[in-house]
Amino acid sequence: MAFFLGIDVGSGYTKAVVCEDTSLRSYSIIPSGGDYRKAALESSENALKKINISMSDISNTIATGYGAAIVDFARQTLSDISCHAIGINYLFPSVRTVIDIGAQYSRAIHLDSEGRIVNFIMNEKCAGGSGKFLQVTARILQMDIKDLGRLSLTSEKPVEFTTACAVFAESEAVSRISEGALPADIVAGIHKAMSSKIIVLATRVGLVPDYAVTGGGAKDIGLVRAIEKELKTNTFVAQEPQITAALGAAIFASSR
Amino acid sequence: MAEEKKGRAVATKTAASIPKFVRGNLAATLKAKEEGKKVAYAYIADGQDEIMRAMDIVPAWGESFAGVCAAKRDAEKYLQKAESDNFSRSLCTYATCTIGFDMVREELGGGAVPDAPWGGMGRPDMILGSAQLLCDPRFKWPQATQHYLRDVPVFVGSMYYPPFDPKMDHHEQEKFYVKYATEELRECVKFCEKHTGKKMDWDRLAQIVELSDRTWDLFIDTYELRKAFPTPMDTGDAMNTMVPLTFNLGTQEAYDFYKQLYDELQQKIANGEGVADPEKYRLIWAAGLPSWFALGDFQYFNSKGAVFPVEVTYRGCEKIERLELPKTNDPLEHIAWRWVRYWTHWYDKARKRPGSLPKVERIIEYIEEYKCDGVVFHSAFSCRSWHAGIIHQAETLKKVYREIPILILEGDIVDISSYNEADTHNRIDAFIEAVDSYKKRMN
Repeated sequence: MAFFLGIDVGSGYTKAVVCEDTSLRSYSIIPSGGDYRKAALESSENALKKINISMSDISNTIATGYGAAIVDFARQTLSDISCHAIGINYLFPSVRTVIDIGAQYSRAIHLDSEGRIVNFIMNEKCAGGSGKFLQVTARILQMDIKDLGRLSLTSEKPVEFTTACAVFAESEAVSRISEGALPADIVAGIHKAMSSKIIVLATRVGLVPDYAVTGGGAKDIGLVRAIEKELKTNTFVAQEPQITAALGAAIFASSR
Repeated sequence: MAEEKKGRAVATKTAASIPKFVRGNLAATLKAKEEGKKVAYAYIADGQDEIMRAMDIVPAWGESFAGVCAAKRDAEKYLQKAESDNFSRSLCTYATCTIGFDMVREELGGGAVPDAPWGGMGRPDMILGSAQLLCDPRFKWPQATQHYLRDVPVFVGSMYYPPFDPKMDHHEQEKFYVKYATEELRECVKFCEKHTGKKMDWDRLAQIVELSDRTWDLFIDTYELRKAFPTPMDTGDAMNTMVPLTFNLGTQEAYDFYKQLYDELQQKIANGEGVADPEKYRLIWAAGLPSWFALGDFQYFNSKGAVFPVEVTYRGCEKIERLELPKTNDPLEHIAWRWVRYWTHWYDKARKRPGSLPKVERIIEYIEEYKCDGVVFHSAFSCRSWHAGIIHQAETLKKVYREIPILILEGDIVDISSYNEADTHNRIDAFIEAVDSYKKRMN
């Protein structure tokens, strides 16, 4: 038996996962803040502490994500796209299309039957299909981002946004609030605009079922349902979708 | 403040002479007046190179100067200058960079511009544009420039070639396009004669055109050496070694450069010297101008064992015999035929593969001949002529050829504000992993 550590330093959150061989044992999610190395250390220590082990018990560490290069205690780095692919293949082997919604980027990854990447695509430099859009929405509605999903599901008449641009949608949402639109309908409209943008992106790598939604955006049930509506099918979502890349990194670490 | 980047560690020795070429071209525009020569603002791939050379007109290449500004990370001041007069950032940044430079130079009285990268460009005596299918700013860039250089005469010719139609044999139309292009070139000669006060020396023009043909052949012979395993030169170098073909066509220096490069590549092949050691992945740079401020990204690819033995960008020629040009004694008609046949060279192949496109056929041809494992495009947002069709090309390639890994990088040619190194490297990392998995699958 051996322990393996996977660390995903994202632009919003840093996630650490500890696996015992290939079994998930613990994890930690903390805001990345302005010091990625510190965040990587802190999240790793949190995850290790939960199962009463220390860094010296770790056989191999792999870092991934935006700040992976800064994690100097990792033996190797691997791209977050590969880590998402490994993580999802581990959790849901039938999945062929992974939709990852992170804080800054959304991505679609097409996997083959053995979980290898066939192709991938990332959004352009645009917050339209990313978690940033949800943060903007929560701010203008003065809500906690965690509450957006459930609120969205109560909507009966989603607002039709004329844009999928986060910047323009912000001013459009403000106009709709002043016109008396319900917060639930605004959030549902935002989810619809985001999902449509994400599916356009995913179509470019090829929409092959089964589908999984992952990343922080997958924690928003309203967004997941909107994506499923666009896809006209259900999707797989992990119990904690934010740690998929870190899990993939830990699984990869166990194979080295 | 300008930021100098380190040179490429894996560059060929011959490529190291390129800065001298570029500096020489810029310096020639600055000292032309002393030598009693006329300077013309010129634009690449416009078919007018040999006319300028035959009439001793010194070309001042805006695209080259803007590229130098970008590579030295010193373009912002000119982009901002153009922006201050309402030129949008979404316009071609080659154009806005040089227009901004023109504005600065005019404010200083038209002489040398202090602190201009590599001395800048001399004030032109004429502007020789060519509005053609290659790039839409070509229609308005010269006129926009004239807004600041009121006394400088402008010629904008029109060099066209038949559009691709899978149901139509373009060979039936090409003679009309050739006739049109020839007449446009003849108008260009008349314009140059008027503004230089000299008559065209037609024998000299014919000799220069013949030298250009030989340079085209030698260029392709040289670049085809890159088919070797490991490849002795990749696109990182080709973004420099394109300079003589692109900016010095019709000169002995350009021909001699490729002879030297040919010899060096042969030597590298004999010694088994490659760009990456070991060479693990072979990629094609399938479309798009590079980010001149981030040429180091090619080395990042190399550090992963990935090399580019071939690129579409700046490979602006083909072996003359493959173009099967009709014989003519008129050098202008020869240029026109070479122009039309080059740009339509992949039409016949594209018609034979349902759903394909000439640009895609060219990529497929190179993938097969250079044994490539993956395809990289660069979408430069301010360059619409490349940017607009890239996704379509990528999707067509997958549809008519095979599910080969494709990476679309995003950035710009000159505007560094669009670039994020960490994000670019992250995409490259994931792409290399996808190519690795593709190779394993194919094996």
